[in-house]
Amino acid sequence: MKNALILAGLLVITSVAVFGQGYDVMPEDALIFPVGVAGTVYEDMELGVQGGTLTLANLEDPKGWNNSTAHETSTTWFTYRQHRGLVNLDHISGAIVPDLAKSWEISEDQLVITFHLREGIKWSDGEPITADDVVFTYNDVILNEDVDTNQRDGQLLPDDTYPVCAKVDDYTVTFTMSVVFRPALNSLSFSILPEHVLAQSVHKLNPDVPVGTFNETWTLDTDLTELVGNGPWIVSDYVPNVSVTMTRNPYYYGYDPAGTQLPYYDEVINVIVTNQDVMMLKFRNGETDVYALRAVDIPILLPEGARKGFTVKITDEPGYGTTWFLVNQDIGLAEGTDAEKREVYRNVKFREAMAHCIDKDTIVTNVFNGLAGAQWSPVSVPSPFYAGRDYYGGPITENNAVIFEYDPAKAAALLDEIGVVDQDGDGMRDLPSGAPLKMEINTNDNTVRVGTCLILVDDWTSIGLDATFQVVDFNTLVDRLFGSSGDLIYLGLTGGDEPNGGSNVYNSCGSLHAYRYSACDEPDEVDLRIDELLGLGAGTFDLDEAFDYYTEYQQLLAHQLGYIYTVVPTFQYAYYNYVGNAFKASSTSTPSGNNGLLTELCFDKRLL
Amino acid sequence: MLTYIIRRTLYMLPLLLVVSLISFTLIKIMPGDFLTQARLNPQITEETLQAQIERFGLDRPFMVQYFYWLKNIVLHGDFGMSFDTKMPVFKTLFFGDRLQWTVFIALSTLVIQYLFAIPIGIYSATHQYKPSDHIVTFLGFLGLSIPNFFFALVLLWLLVVIFDVGQFGLTVSGVMDLHFYREGWSFAKILNILWHMWPVWLVIGTSGMAGLIRLMRGNLLDTLSLPYVQTARAKGLKEKVVIYKHAVRNAINPLVTILGLSLPGLVSGSVVTAIILNLPTVGLSYWNALQRQDENVIMAGLLFFSLFLLIGNLIADFLLAWVDPRIRYD
Repeated sequence: MKNALILAGLLVITSVAVFGQGYDVMPEDALIFPVGVAGTVYEDMELGVQGGTLTLANLEDPKGWNNSTAHETSTTWFTYRQHRGLVNLDHISGAIVPDLAKSWEISEDQLVITFHLREGIKWSDGEPITADDVVFTYNDVILNEDVDTNQRDGQLLPDDTYPVCAKVDDYTVTFTMSVVFRPALNSLSFSILPEHVLAQSVHKLNPDVPVGTFNETWTLDTDLTELVGNGPWIVSDYVPNVSVTMTRNPYYYGYDPAGTQLPYYDEVINVIVTNQDVMMLKFRNGETDVYALRAVDIPILLPEGARKGFTVKITDEPGYGTTWFLVNQDIGLAEGTDAEKREVYRNVKFREAMAHCIDKDTIVTNVFNGLAGAQWSPVSVPSPFYAGRDYYGGPITENNAVIFEYDPAKAAALLDEIGVVDQDGDGMRDLPSGAPLKMEINTNDNTVRVGTCLILVDDWTSIGLDATFQVVDFNTLVDRLFGSSGDLIYLGLTGGDEPNGGSNVYNSCGSLHAYRYSACDEPDEVDLRIDELLGLGAGTFDLDEAFDYYTEYQQLLAHQLGYIYTVVPTFQYAYYNYVGNAFKASSTSTPSGNNGLLTELCFDKRLL
Repeated sequence: MLTYIIRRTLYMLPLLLVVSLISFTLIKIMPGDFLTQARLNPQITEETLQAQIERFGLDRPFMVQYFYWLKNIVLHGDFGMSFDTKMPVFKTLFFGDRLQWTVFIALSTLVIQYLFAIPIGIYSATHQYKPSDHIVTFLGFLGLSIPNFFFALVLLWLLVVIFDVGQFGLTVSGVMDLHFYREGWSFAKILNILWHMWPVWLVIGTSGMAGLIRLMRGNLLDTLSLPYVQTARAKGLKEKVVIYKHAVRNAINPLVTILGLSLPGLVSGSVVTAIILNLPTVGLSYWNALQRQDENVIMAGLLFFSLFLLIGNLIADFLLAWVDPRIRYD
C-alpha cells in the first residue's frame, strides 16, 4: 500500500513534469467538436485517443510561418493550422461556425457585429487570449499599410472603407461597418495573432524597428520555439526540402465530447515531395498515411488497396473553383482590327453554339476517368449559394440550372442562323462577309486542360468551325488574358463558398472580367443587373433573400456565356485504414485531397 | 604560381559581370513575373498588386533595376531578398544543409564515377573489340542515354512496386529516413544514408560514366600503340607492368583535367534527379525559385553556378599543370 502510494506520487510528479503545459481541466468555454453526436454532421465519426504521428505529403516547401503575410497555399496549409480566427467555416457543412469566438450577434441595423471570445483559453506559450489580440491583429497588422498582406483586400466594404474594430472588454470586440455587408462575417475568419509576441515587430507600435520588419518576421529561418499560436498544431521542426513537423498545441481549446483534448495525434509530419508520381510511390510504400490522388492514379491504387490496407475514397462532391474557356469579345478592339470577328463573338448565339458543342460526358470520362462533374454556374458547386440547389444550403437538384446540352446539330443551326456558314466550299465556316473565321484556343501545359481542349477542338471542327489548339506558357497565357489579346482561352479560377468572392470577376469593371473588359465603359442591361445583384446579395444578412439574388445572378451569367464553364473535378484521396476518421474530409480548403483532411480529428486506430 | 591564381581570380570578375547582365536580361524577357500568379486570384485587388510591384521595384525600367541590383552588391554586398521567403537570397538557396548535401552528392558521385570508369575503360581497351568490350561500352551508353528523371522514377518504381521494400521498413527517395535528421551521427544513420544514396549515385553516376569510359579507352589505346610501349614489351616486361606502370599513367592525364570541369556539371546537372529523388540540394531550391520567378534568387543561383564553373575551370588548369610538367603558369 505504501509502495503504491509512493508509486502514485511518483506518477503524479512525472506527469506534471511531462504534461507541465496545457490546461489542468478542460476550459469551460472549450470548443466541442460533436464527434459521434447524432444529428450533427460529425455523427458518423469516432472518438479517438491521443498519440501517434500522422504523415502527409506536400508538393512544395512553405515560404514562411507568418499567416498574415502568407500568399499561397503551401504556406497557409501550416499557418492556418497554427492560427485560428474568431469564426471558421465548418469543415463539413461549410457553414460559418464559432471558433475563437464562442458566439456573436448582429445589431438590429445590421451594421455592428459583436463577438464574445472564449474565456480562459491560452496561446501555446500559456498567455491568455484576449480582445487585445483581436484588435492588434486587425488594426495593427491587417489594416496596417506597411504590412504586405492579401487579407486587407478581403476586409474592404463596397464603399471602400474597412470595418472598425473596437474592444469592449477583455472578451468582447465589435466590428462596425458603414454599410450592410453580409460577406464581412466570412472575412472576419482571419487568423488572430499573439500581440505579446508580435507587437514588437510592428513599426507602428515599436518605432525602434524599421518599417517592414513585420514582413520579415516569422520567416523560415526563425527559431521555431518563438512561434506562438492558438490553433491545434504548432510548427516544431523544419528541414528544408524534406519535411515540416507540427506538434500538438498543449493549449488548443478544441475537445471531443468525451473530454479528450484535440488534436488526437501528437504530431503531423508533412513530407515535401516535389513530384506527384514519387508522392504516390511513397504512399504505396507506406511512408505517408494519406495521399491526394489524381484521376490517373485510381486504376493503380484501387486493386492494391485491399492487400496493403488502404482505402481509396472517391467522393462525388465536386470541388471548389471554376473551369472555363472564354471567347474574347474585345478581340482586336485596342488595335482596331478583327471588327467582324468581334461582332460575331459578341453575338450570344455564337457563344450558345460553342456551348452546345461541349461534350462534357466525354471530357469527364476520357480526361478525368469519370471523376468530374459538369459545371454551369460561376458559383462553386459545394457553396450553399449554388443555384443548383432549391434553397440556401439545400440539396443539389440542378432544378435552376441553365444547361446547354451537348447537341452539335443545334449548334450548327445557331451558326447558320447568324450567317456563320461555309461560303467558299472548303468545308469550314466563314464570317458573314465571306472572310474565313479562324479561331485558336490556348491553355497552359497542364495534362487535364490540354486533354479537354483537344476534345473541344474536335467537336468544334465537326460542326465546321476552323478551330486550332495551341499550348502556351502559363505567364504568356495570363498576359493574354489581362491584355485582352487572346482569342479563346481555357483556364480556371479558385472559388469558395461566398459568391461575393467572384465580384472581382463578374462585376462589369472587375479586373478579371477578361471576356469583355469594355463592359466597364459600355455595360449592357444584363451587365448592369449583374452588378446590381452582386450588391443586393452582399447587402443582406437574410440568407434566403441573398440566395434568391444569387440565383438570378448565376442564371444571368450562365445565359450570358462570358466564361463558358466546362467540368470541375470531384474530390478524392486515399488513406491507410489505421487512420481513424480519415474517411471524412472537407473540400472547403482546396479540392486537393489531404488539404481537406480534418487533421485534428484523425487518430491512430492502432492505439485503441 | 600565386600571381597566376590572383590573375585568374581577377579575370573571373568581368566574366561574372557579363554573366549577370545576360542572366538579368534573360529573366526579364521571360513572360510574366513573380506576381503573375497573384493577378489571377480574384481576391486580390489592383491596389494591393500595385503596392507589391512598387515594393519589389518591378515598375522601374530594366536597366535601372539592374543598376540598383548591382549597386547593392558592390556597395553593401547585398544580393537582395527573396520575394517569396522574405529572406536574403543566399539563405533562401542554402538554408538548412542544402549546400553541404550538394557538395557531398557532387563529390561522392564524382569519386564513384572515376572509381568505376577508369578500370572499366582500361578493361575495355585491353579487350578491344571483344564481346566483353562491347558489353561494357553498351552499358555505358545505356546509362548516358536514359534520361535521369526517367531512370530515377523507374528505380523508385522497382523498389516500391516490384521489391516492395516498404514491408522491410525501408523508405525511398530523400537522403535518409525522416527521424535521422533530428538525431546525431550513428552507425544506423550512416547505413541509412547509404541505402538512400545508392540510387542517387547510380542515376547521376551512370549519366556521365560513358564519356569517361570512352575517353579512358581511347587514350589507353593510343598510348598502347606508341613505340615506348613496344619497347617495354620487347624488354620482356610483364604485360601488367606495361599497362599499369607505363601506359595508364600517361593515358590518364586528360581525365584529370576533366575532373575539375565536371564538378559544376554535377551541381547544376543533378537538378532533375534532385526533383525526383527529393534531394535537399541547392539545385532544388534554385528550381523552386525558377518556378515562382523569384528574380533575386534566380540571379543569385545563376551567379553561384557560374562561380562553380569558373572554379572548376581553375581546378582543372591546376590539376593539368600538376600532372603534366610541360605546362607552365606564365
